[in-house]
Amino acid sequence: MAARQYFSRGALILANDSNQSAQASTALPIHIRDLTKRYGQMYALDSVDLEIKSGEFLTLLGPSGSGKTTLLMAIAGFNRPDAGSIRFGDTEMILTPPHKRDVGMVFQSYALFPHMSVTENVAFPLKLRKVSPAECAERVAEALATVQLSEFGERGIDQLSGGQRQRVALARAFVFGPRILLMDEPLSALDKKLREHMQIELKHLHEKLGVTTVYVTHDQREALTMSDRIAVINDGRLAQVDTPHVIYNQPANAFVADFIGESTMLPLSGDSAGRLMFADQVVTTEAATDAAADHLLVVRPERLFVLRGETVDPEKTIAFDGTVREFVFQGETAFALVAVDDRHELSVRFSTDSASSQNELQPGDRVSLGLHREDVITIPDNA
Amino acid sequence: MENRVDTAGINEHELKTQEAREQLTLLGLAAPAVLAIVAIIVIPVGWLFYLSFVGSDGNFSLEHYQKMVQYKSYARVFLITFQVSLLTTVICILIGYPLAYFLALLPQRWAGIFMLAVLLPFWTSLLVRTYAWLVLLQKKGMLNDFAIYIGLWETPVKLVHNMTGTLIGMAHIMLPFLVLPLYGSMRKIERDMMHAAANLGASPVHAFWKVYFPLSLSGMVAGSLIVFVLCLGFYVTPAVLGGGRVVMVATQITAILENQFDWGAASALGVVLLIATLIILYLAARLLKFDAALFGK
Amino acid sequence: MSHFTKPTLRVRSIIVAAGLAAFTTIAIAADPITVVSWGGSYGAAQDNALFNDASKNTGIAINRESGASMSKTCLQVQSGAVSWDLVVTGSGGAASAAAKGCLEKIDYSVVDVSDFYPNLYTDYCVGSDVFATVMAWNTDKYGAPGSPGAPSSWADFWNVKKYPGTRAYRANNVDGALEPALMADGVPPEKVYEVLSTTEGMKRAVNKIRELKPHIAVFWGSGAQQAQLMKDAEVDMSTGWNGRFDNARKDGARVGYTFNQALLDYDCFAMPKGAPNKQVAMKFLAEISKPEYQDNLPFHITYGPTTKKAYEMTTAPKDLIESLPSHPKNVPMMLPVSLDFYAKHRTEALELYMEMLSE
Repeated sequence: MAARQYFSRGALILANDSNQSAQASTALPIHIRDLTKRYGQMYALDSVDLEIKSGEFLTLLGPSGSGKTTLLMAIAGFNRPDAGSIRFGDTEMILTPPHKRDVGMVFQSYALFPHMSVTENVAFPLKLRKVSPAECAERVAEALATVQLSEFGERGIDQLSGGQRQRVALARAFVFGPRILLMDEPLSALDKKLREHMQIELKHLHEKLGVTTVYVTHDQREALTMSDRIAVINDGRLAQVDTPHVIYNQPANAFVADFIGESTMLPLSGDSAGRLMFADQVVTTEAATDAAADHLLVVRPERLFVLRGETVDPEKTIAFDGTVREFVFQGETAFALVAVDDRHELSVRFSTDSASSQNELQPGDRVSLGLHREDVITIPDNA
Repeated sequence: MENRVDTAGINEHELKTQEAREQLTLLGLAAPAVLAIVAIIVIPVGWLFYLSFVGSDGNFSLEHYQKMVQYKSYARVFLITFQVSLLTTVICILIGYPLAYFLALLPQRWAGIFMLAVLLPFWTSLLVRTYAWLVLLQKKGMLNDFAIYIGLWETPVKLVHNMTGTLIGMAHIMLPFLVLPLYGSMRKIERDMMHAAANLGASPVHAFWKVYFPLSLSGMVAGSLIVFVLCLGFYVTPAVLGGGRVVMVATQITAILENQFDWGAASALGVVLLIATLIILYLAARLLKFDAALFGK
Repeated sequence: MSHFTKPTLRVRSIIVAAGLAAFTTIAIAADPITVVSWGGSYGAAQDNALFNDASKNTGIAINRESGASMSKTCLQVQSGAVSWDLVVTGSGGAASAAAKGCLEKIDYSVVDVSDFYPNLYTDYCVGSDVFATVMAWNTDKYGAPGSPGAPSSWADFWNVKKYPGTRAYRANNVDGALEPALMADGVPPEKVYEVLSTTEGMKRAVNKIRELKPHIAVFWGSGAQQAQLMKDAEVDMSTGWNGRFDNARKDGARVGYTFNQALLDYDCFAMPKGAPNKQVAMKFLAEISKPEYQDNLPFHITYGPTTKKAYEMTTAPKDLIESLPSHPKNVPMMLPVSLDFYAKHRTEALELYMEMLSE
């Protein structure tokens, strides 16, 4: 139901909403330096340095227990780090209690106050800021309009669907015009369809509000969809901080390559010329600077294609011969596992073109897979 | 649809039988409780109700109720009963709320240990606890001795055989009944709620009153009702610690039974207490807007 | 009072009674009878002085229970589920229960009361022991009984100027509560029940207690509490039952009392109407009412026997005998409780008393 309601209203209306005056606050950059938080012997955050630019949408991405939520909570002021500095603009915030940090936050559980109506929830931060009743009503109405809930003001929280609650939480987080917005896996409780649409809606909202946004998720697809930059975090350290494009196409290490997107990794070895080889395949035509070290070839499944007897230019394309182990039809795409030798299999993803013979791959079929040289990703194997 | 022939589907009869059997089993499981309630509550209360209208000559009579109007003591006894119950409830809230709050803030394991300390008196006989307070509070009791020894006061202060002693004893005995449901409702308040309040700009004090307190209210109301209603029927503690001055309805009922063996008069008191309690509960429910929880929508 | 002190002299041979008992044994050895008393030292004293030996001598098996109460007795009778055969009760309780039709008439062709003090048995109950409701005080504070300046009358109990301090009085029960007030108010003992027989008289008594109420620190609810209050010196003066204060003194309490103007009262055995083993129970009642059992009672509790003969037969020391409420030396000082008053006026008296208590 909630999803349907959403579709009928559409995300673009939101983006085109011209009424932006209330949120005309300047965004603030966040400077995090040497932030450390220990729980016993375990480092939840290990000397984290992170510069979050003014007005950008930065996602903290990592598996559960990686420290991403700890970092977000430290920014919000809900936990007390052992050491380090957090500055909003030029102001040191590390000792400031949460209620004086003036940041908006959307919680994973939404944390809407069940004893208040939608309007009362959204008005809560305004009343605390002694906003006049008239202005308060105006700003609440505006915020509810922004999240498409204008007619829901009098409802109780328990009368809302998950998606509606999510949007109330959002409205409450930005209604008071914070210059920083934090979101802790805000979409994780929604079903897949609604989640994907809310991702776009949030993205538009960010563009509209222009506030510095720190977003926590463990869903790499969500991170890629929404972020200006992604900070991949693992074991309390930042594994890579960069744009989605770079993170996907040039992962800095095996963790990032593995965590972001689907990939198969093949071990490479350097030959006498310093080129990196998989078996007798030349993977990099130019000598690597550190060819002696172990390297991995990161193969994105969607970058592979089936060769049908045509000859390929080895300058431009690497070819892998193998045997189909498994073939799974998954709707818009199909997926195959192809064994290239005794120990290594490549994942391949095709778009399902009804006319294509790729739909007819059977386990046991011999296939030849091509990979353009510009799609070759090699990373040092420091595992 | 229109052409549908009304014949039994495959296994339709068997499936229906199975469903009926399952429902019968459920009914069977509930039967002991239902029977017990009928036997322990409905029948005796109904009987008391009947007795209260039987006069000394064995015929229908309102004499027991007329007596309650005739003598001022009955109105006073009801007043004292409600007063003691209300005061005990208030004291329990004043002591129990911070205690439950403290417990709810502790990590689960520590909360368990402290909860044990709250519950421990629960497992001690009511009489033992009541007499323990008598020993502590009386004129030459430990508390007076100690206070005089350290020079807090010079002559023994009257702490028991009066309302003070009664309230101390009753609050102590009733405390767990308040703390348990209150603690339960506090545990259910997500940490995020308080985080959200702080994040939105509420100082800790403000966040407590605007968010935490309203959310803990359901547990507090439940606990307070339990305490209040239990207090209404209390006998032992006011009898021992009240020094005969705190005459509650239960005391009066006992007096009538022991002196006059008059079950009708005693029943009438019980009936009035029951009805007064129900009225008060109903009014409180309306006032505090939890009538849905108590009486259904 | 006068008839109480003039015993009749009809004595029946003990041998005849013993023969009767032997006959009883043979006739009905089967069903145990249920004898219900109170707990604590009182029940224990009856076990040791009366029940155990009587059971052995007659062969009547008994089933001993505690928690005797006339209200429970009446409940059993009214619900037609009588399981008790003999029940201990206060004399007033027996009178009220009898008035409600809850008790069997005692068969005095079986129970021999010829040696009893005359008003220690009624149609419905047979006296088991005699006690007194006395005034007791802290001897450290007001002096030993009989010493110069020590309290000696109910007027002294009310005199908080001469005897400053706290008092204890009866709670939630009017038995023995009004008489002292009237005596303190100047009514001579022999006129007390006459005055009490009107509502005005009862109000006069209650008003007198109302006057003392600010000084009454505790209203006691049980005999055990009387003893405890004196032992802990929680109050300086209290009303109560002589045996309890004797026990408290044995436990080291600084307490003394006087029989002067005390209320002479007795406990008794009654039989619920429709008792399951009426015949046998009546025979057992006859047995325990004999002086050879009664004379053992003073060894276990300082309540007096109800038969004069027991005083002649007992081997108890003289000072113990003379401290018993029913001893001929003490009886004249006291006011015997009028069952007639309680049968007629208890309900109203209690209402008036509770009114004062609840203020």
